[in-house]
Amino acid sequence: MIDVLLKIIVFGAVVGGIWGLVASGFSLIFGVSRILNFAHGAAFVCSAYVAFMLISSGVNVYASILAGLAVSGLLGILVYSLTRPVRKNEVMVIIVTLALALLIQQILLVNFGDRGISIIPLVKGVVELNNLKVTNMRVTSFILAVVSLVSLDLVISKTSIGKRILATSQDSEAAMLIGIDVERIFILVMVLSSILAGFAGILYAQIFAISPETSLRALIYAFAIVILGGLGSLRGSIVSSFIVGYILVVTITFLGARWSEFVMLLAIVTILVVKPTGLFGVEE
Amino acid sequence: MKISTLFAALLILISAALPLVIPEAYLYLIGLTYLFAIIVISWDLMVGYTGQVNLGHTTFVGLGAYIAALLQTPLRIGIAVHPAVAIIVGGLAAALVGFVIGVITLRLRGYYFSLVTAILPLVFMQTVFIWRDVFGGEEGFSIAGYALFDTTLSKYYFALILLLVSLAAMLKIVRSRIGLRLMAVRDSEELAESIGIDTTRYKVLAFVLSSFFAGIAGAAIVNYRYTVGPELYDIPLMLLVILSAVLGGLGTIYGPLIGAIVIYLAKNWWLRDLISMASLPINDEIVLYAILIAVGILMPRGFFHELQDRLKH
Repeated sequence: MIDVLLKIIVFGAVVGGIWGLVASGFSLIFGVSRILNFAHGAAFVCSAYVAFMLISSGVNVYASILAGLAVSGLLGILVYSLTRPVRKNEVMVIIVTLALALLIQQILLVNFGDRGISIIPLVKGVVELNNLKVTNMRVTSFILAVVSLVSLDLVISKTSIGKRILATSQDSEAAMLIGIDVERIFILVMVLSSILAGFAGILYAQIFAISPETSLRALIYAFAIVILGGLGSLRGSIVSSFIVGYILVVTITFLGARWSEFVMLLAIVTILVVKPTGLFGVEE
Repeated sequence: MKISTLFAALLILISAALPLVIPEAYLYLIGLTYLFAIIVISWDLMVGYTGQVNLGHTTFVGLGAYIAALLQTPLRIGIAVHPAVAIIVGGLAAALVGFVIGVITLRLRGYYFSLVTAILPLVFMQTVFIWRDVFGGEEGFSIAGYALFDTTLSKYYFALILLLVSLAAMLKIVRSRIGLRLMAVRDSEELAESIGIDTTRYKVLAFVLSSFFAGIAGAAIVNYRYTVGPELYDIPLMLLVILSAVLGGLGTIYGPLIGAIVIYLAKNWWLRDLISMASLPINDEIVLYAILIAVGILMPRGFFHELQDRLKH
């Protein structure tokens, strides 16, 4: 029993950290530009596929990973430019980003198949915790995810660029009036968030396998996390990503992976019934 | 008699006379297109008239399909009701699920409705795999021998009549006071509320009606092709519905109807062959998604609105 508990505690933290990277960017984009970016999951899988492709054709591992992150960043710019002409039209923003997500998924499916890929872990070896073997890669991923999330939070709350991002998310017109270049903030947030999602994809592919369908799953987990944390609240989504991570690991341990979508929907509906603003949400 | 009425009567006559000139294989496809059109216009009833983006419309198509199929064939759960009853129960079950989801999500403003409906098809698709011996897993199951009709000709007329009845019902709804209130909610929720419209109630009403027609269409599709499978829940069908409606022009009913017929026939008639001839590393879905992005950005009001504007100037 204690073994299972320990396993859940350790793996939930790893999974929560990775999904936290995806969800915090999703939340940041929504908070700043009011864009529901359905293509956010695509940034998650694209970086892993680009890195995988370059590594298997003999390119240096670190260069491949950097290239993967760069492609994620470019995807952010693509989403920015596609949504810019229709930003005022909420219906079209949703439809265009969803179509882009599925377009990318199909391109990956046609070129790589649906079998899934993984990247050879950069960190080898295992640590043993009370008979539970944890690969060093998982420990490293957890640490890297937490460090990234904490530094993201520090950048947003402490630096001047962060203050500008916050101002834009509170009221983009007022931010424009005091001389903030809102469009540049939008691009910056879009690129930064997509790179975070891409980084999560790189970590994920070193622990599990990633397939084109993972992009939709990543998106569902991001939805659950941001609704639990409160739509638009960065800190809320960081905290709730670990809660969702634990819910996921418990579900997979006791019921099986097929039930994870079910449980996520149940969690979201419960939150919407009990406390629609989420744990840390602000009233709109 | 107005010209538009005459034109509509002419179109109905042509569709009714099609079996005289068109070979059976194509007739089968055209009938299926009519059923697809019901799904598209019922999506427009919700999205085009209330402005709430339903990304899980196929949930209701699949629900109607699976429930009707299970009730019709005694081979799965030992029940065999008359197909017509099964189709209506399929529609009602879809409407009931729509009601529950609507009550929870539509009372909240903003994006919750889209986020939740986006997840629904994926969840319902998992039910097919979890309870494999009931729903038949990825292959689905067949209801051959227990369907409503058994010749292509009778199925074609069934699809045509179902489309005309649904179309008339939905036109009646959007042109009634209910339709006006829905549009008021879409254009300004605050204003609608301030003149005494219970916005949540009307949004839920539109969603329930829209789900009902989707469920009926799903159940009819099963009776048309005799098989039910998880692709009726799946995202590619959802995107095909969205593409047809957006291309036709949201909030017009007629636009999405024409969009549905054009897109569905194009996809199933010649698009795939054309793309495989080009021998590029793409498939027909990639092309359709690219078209959807282009239409969404370049003419978000739809092709027919755009054409009207061009002709006027």
